[in-house]
Amino acid sequence: MDHDTDLGGPAAAFPATRCTLVRAAGSADPAVRRQAAETLIAAYWKPVYKYIRVKWRSHNEDAKDLTQAFFAVAVEKGFFDPFDPAKARFRTFVRLCVDGFVANERRANTRLKRGGGGELLSLDFAAVEGELRRQESAAGADPDDFFRQEWVRELFAAAVDDLRRQCAGSGKELHFKLFERYDLDGPDAAEKLSYASLAEEFGLPQTQVTNYLAFARRLFRRLVLERLRTTTGSEDEFRDEVWRLFGGDVR
Amino acid sequence: MSWLSDATLLHLCRVADWPDLTGTRYDCVDKIGQGGMGAVFLARDRELDRQVALKVLSAAPDDADAKARMVAEARLTARLEHPGIVPVHDAGVLPDGRFYYAMKLVRGKRLDEQVSRTTALAERLQPFQKMCDAVAFAHAHGIVHRDLKPQNVMVGPFGEVLVLDWGAAREIGPRADAAVVGTPGYMAPEQATANVAVVDARADVYAVGGILYFLLTGRPPAYGPGAVLARPRQFDRAIPRPLEAICLKALAPDPGRRYADVADLAADVADFLARRRVRAYPEKPFEVVLRLATTYRTVLTLLLAYLLIRILLLVFFRS
Amino acid sequence: MKKWLLGLLLGGVLGIFDGLTAPLSAPETAPDLLGIVIGSMFKGCIAGVLIGYFAQKVHSLALGIVFGLAVGAALAFGIVWLQYQAGKWYFWQVMLPGSAVGLIVGYVTQRYGRRL
Repeated sequence: MDHDTDLGGPAAAFPATRCTLVRAAGSADPAVRRQAAETLIAAYWKPVYKYIRVKWRSHNEDAKDLTQAFFAVAVEKGFFDPFDPAKARFRTFVRLCVDGFVANERRANTRLKRGGGGELLSLDFAAVEGELRRQESAAGADPDDFFRQEWVRELFAAAVDDLRRQCAGSGKELHFKLFERYDLDGPDAAEKLSYASLAEEFGLPQTQVTNYLAFARRLFRRLVLERLRTTTGSEDEFRDEVWRLFGGDVR
Repeated sequence: MSWLSDATLLHLCRVADWPDLTGTRYDCVDKIGQGGMGAVFLARDRELDRQVALKVLSAAPDDADAKARMVAEARLTARLEHPGIVPVHDAGVLPDGRFYYAMKLVRGKRLDEQVSRTTALAERLQPFQKMCDAVAFAHAHGIVHRDLKPQNVMVGPFGEVLVLDWGAAREIGPRADAAVVGTPGYMAPEQATANVAVVDARADVYAVGGILYFLLTGRPPAYGPGAVLARPRQFDRAIPRPLEAICLKALAPDPGRRYADVADLAADVADFLARRRVRAYPEKPFEVVLRLATTYRTVLTLLLAYLLIRILLLVFFRS
Repeated sequence: MKKWLLGLLLGGVLGIFDGLTAPLSAPETAPDLLGIVIGSMFKGCIAGVLIGYFAQKVHSLALGIVFGLAVGAALAFGIVWLQYQAGKWYFWQVMLPGSAVGLIVGYVTQRYGRRL
């Protein structure tokens, strides 16, 4: 069994304690708060942007400004401090904060200054806009379900990147390539892939394809769970999200 | 960061949950269900060349509580060797750390799908009696199910009945935790509160009463604040009074007024079907006469025929 | 209750009833009522034991009924013959109820009672 426990990526700085990022976001230490905030922003900025675009029907420029301003103000004013895991999921809390922020901004009709307290991360809004255009699920979606789906999309995307890094770091690039070919590209491919066709494509025995894919998927699951743990507000929320996620409820 | 399409997202959810059965004797075929604690997969046992159901823990591998609960479920179910309780064949830990156990693959329909109010009463009660046998067996071994409902009873193509999902089952005795387990409508009132220290076989009696209520009326018993349980005959006057009485006795809010265990309830149902006196229903004299007359109708008919012969002889030979 | 005992009791009771109702269709037998009742009771008991014993050995409703009918008819015919020897002819008055009792005992002993 693979005992590789390095997360990789922005979350690597945090020890593997439970729900660390959410708690760290409310820490008294400004450096810890900032680092936690960066990681939370990395996990949530795309869902927030897409949510504002779809639910609040904002133009892309307004949505960009609102997203940047939201996170800047959230960090500055400690939006996440009053989060109580007994009352709601953290993701729902974030969404409600976004709703409140956008509603207030529209009421005040103020011109948003980009950055606020300075840009925390360089956010590739153009790429996100491209994603939104490709997504069939955006139109007519329930806002809460849509936000959750985007949050899951980012979670899995981050886990895929972690997987890529780990496989590259441990000499298992072929494992990742097979995973990428079958599990990432396969669902959208015109022709359904099979283990046999992969075996032929990569010049491997089919049993090896099966074993390599099993390894990659096992590691992928572990990485998803690690990412999930740091972005949920409590152990109960984490358990519930695991059940929902792997029960096939992506929405 | 790579973008994942909706189709890829769904696929990744599925494959991440797919059990890695390397090192086991099973090959995974398909996912067939999702429960509270784990997913159930159709798998093939290579050694015995048969299909089995694998229940795999959904929680993270380091969730010790979830694993302990599922191990307890597997052990408890394995202890109960009865034709009406799904047998556990095997258990273990997957390479990714998830606990699993293999059990008989149950083919058939759930009780709520199998029966309808158009089915004859005796036909509806047949699987019910078999279910009672299985639950009574568990009670005799000190185990209470705690989540009995029509959806947890499977009826096979040859009439075999299996009680499933013993995940909430516990040994009868003081409650180890205050957690509320069960399904609204079938959950005994004492199960739904943290006040009662002991949850015993009478909690299952309540649930079985709820299943009987469902079989008679087609709906679960009313639940929730202010809900009033309607008598079954309010929905269908054709429901026999003794059977209604059995149902209401099992659904008594006070555990002291219910049957002591499911075996007693099953005995009363058997008495009803055999046209014997039912303990839950005090018969009026007329009802006793009617019941006996119905039970022994052939003998009474023959005796009446004999009397008729006597009368005809009297009339014929006297005249 | 064992089948032969059930047959004995039922046969005896029906035999008593048979005897008591005899004067209704044959009033001239009224003076001999006690003798008729006792005789009828014994006839019923014998028929009941035979039919009950048969039910204990042969588990067939149809055969039990036929056997009961035959035993009841045979014993009833015995009474008819005895009466005929005494110059009286009560064929239908004895044969019909006697056969019916045999049939009833045959049915009851097949359906009810303990085999062993």
